[in-house]
Amino acid sequence: MNKSGTSPKAILDLDRMVHEPARLAILTVLASAEEVAFLFLQRVTGMSKGNLSSHTQKLEAAGYLETVKAFQGRIPVTSFRITEDGRTALRAYHQQLRALLPREGKP
Amino acid sequence: MTTTNLDGPDLAALAALTRDYAAFQSRKSGLATALGGLLAVLLVIAALSPNFMGAQVLDHLFIEYLVWVPFLWLVLKGVFGRALYRGLGTVKASPDGAYERQRWFWILGLALFLITVLLAALYAFASGFLQANQPRAALFPPPMWILLMPLLYLLPMPWVIRGIEEARAYAVLVGQCILWLIPLFLFSFGPPAPPLKTGWGLFGNVTGIGLLVLIYLVLIWGALAMVRGWKEHREYLTLLRALPREA
Repeated sequence: MNKSGTSPKAILDLDRMVHEPARLAILTVLASAEEVAFLFLQRVTGMSKGNLSSHTQKLEAAGYLETVKAFQGRIPVTSFRITEDGRTALRAYHQQLRALLPREGKP
Repeated sequence: MTTTNLDGPDLAALAALTRDYAAFQSRKSGLATALGGLLAVLLVIAALSPNFMGAQVLDHLFIEYLVWVPFLWLVLKGVFGRALYRGLGTVKASPDGAYERQRWFWILGLALFLITVLLAALYAFASGFLQANQPRAALFPPPMWILLMPLLYLLPMPWVIRGIEEARAYAVLVGQCILWLIPLFLFSFGPPAPPLKTGWGLFGNVTGIGLLVLIYLVLIWGALAMVRGWKEHREYLTLLRALPREA
C-alpha cells in the first residue's frame, strides 16, 4: 500500500488488453456506436491501416470485438462491433482507473 | 443498452465524434432538411400562383407534377446522405428507445392520416359520388391514379424515414400535396359546386382562415428547416475538421 492508499497490485491488475492507448481508443469509439466502419475508425483514431488491423485482431482474439464483413456493390466493406465482453471490460477498466487515480486536492 | 462513461477529455472527444458522425446516418439530415424546407416553401408559392389548379404543362396539369415532389425529396435526401455524410463509411448509431418511439409516433401518425384520406377517396369513388360525373373536358387525363397517391406516399415510409426531422419534412410535403388532391378530385369528378346557402359563407370564411393559418405555418416551418438544415451541415463540416489527419 502506498501513500495514496493504492495497492501496486491494483495497478498491475489493470486489463492490459484495454490499457494499451490504441486499443483503448478503438474500444471507446466502438462503445459509442452499434457498428463502425474500418475507414471511420482509422480516421477518428488517426492510426495507420496496418496498426489498426493489428490491434483489432488482438481485440477480436480477446473476444472484445467482432468483425463484420459485407459488400457495398462489389466493394468489400469491413466494420466492427464491440461485444458484450468488450463493453464489460471497458467499463471495468474505467472503474479500476477511477479508483486508482487520486481525487482532486488529495495527491 | 449500457453506456460507458469516459474519463479523459480525449476519449470523451472520440466518443462524441463517433456519436455525432453516426447521428448524420441515423437522425440528422443536414442539407436534406434544408431542401425539405425549401421545397415546402416553393410548393406554397406554387399553390398561391394564379390559376394554379388549371395551369397545364406539357399536356398535363401542373399539379400532377407537383404531387411527386415528396418522392423527389426522398430521392435527393438519399443522394445527399450518400454523397455528403458517408464519406468515411457507415457508422450505425447505438439504439435509442425513446427516439425510436418518437420516430414511430410520427410515422404512424402520418400513416393514419394517409390511410384515412385513401379510404375516404375510395369510398367516394365506390359510392358513386365520383363515378356519376364524367371527368370534365378541361382536365386530362382523368386523374384516377391520384386515388392511389396516399398509398404511394405511405409505402416507403418505414424504410426511408430515419429521423424525426425527416418525418416532419415528409409530413409537411405530403400534407400539402394531399390538400391539393382533395379539390382536384372534386373538381375533376365531383358534381358542380352547390349554390351558396345561408351559413356557407361563414363556412367558407373559416376554411379560408384555416388555409391561411396553414400556409403561414408551412412558411414558418420551411424557413426554420432551412436554417436548421444549414446549421447541421456546418456542424458536420466542423466534425470533419475535428478528425485527426490521416496517418
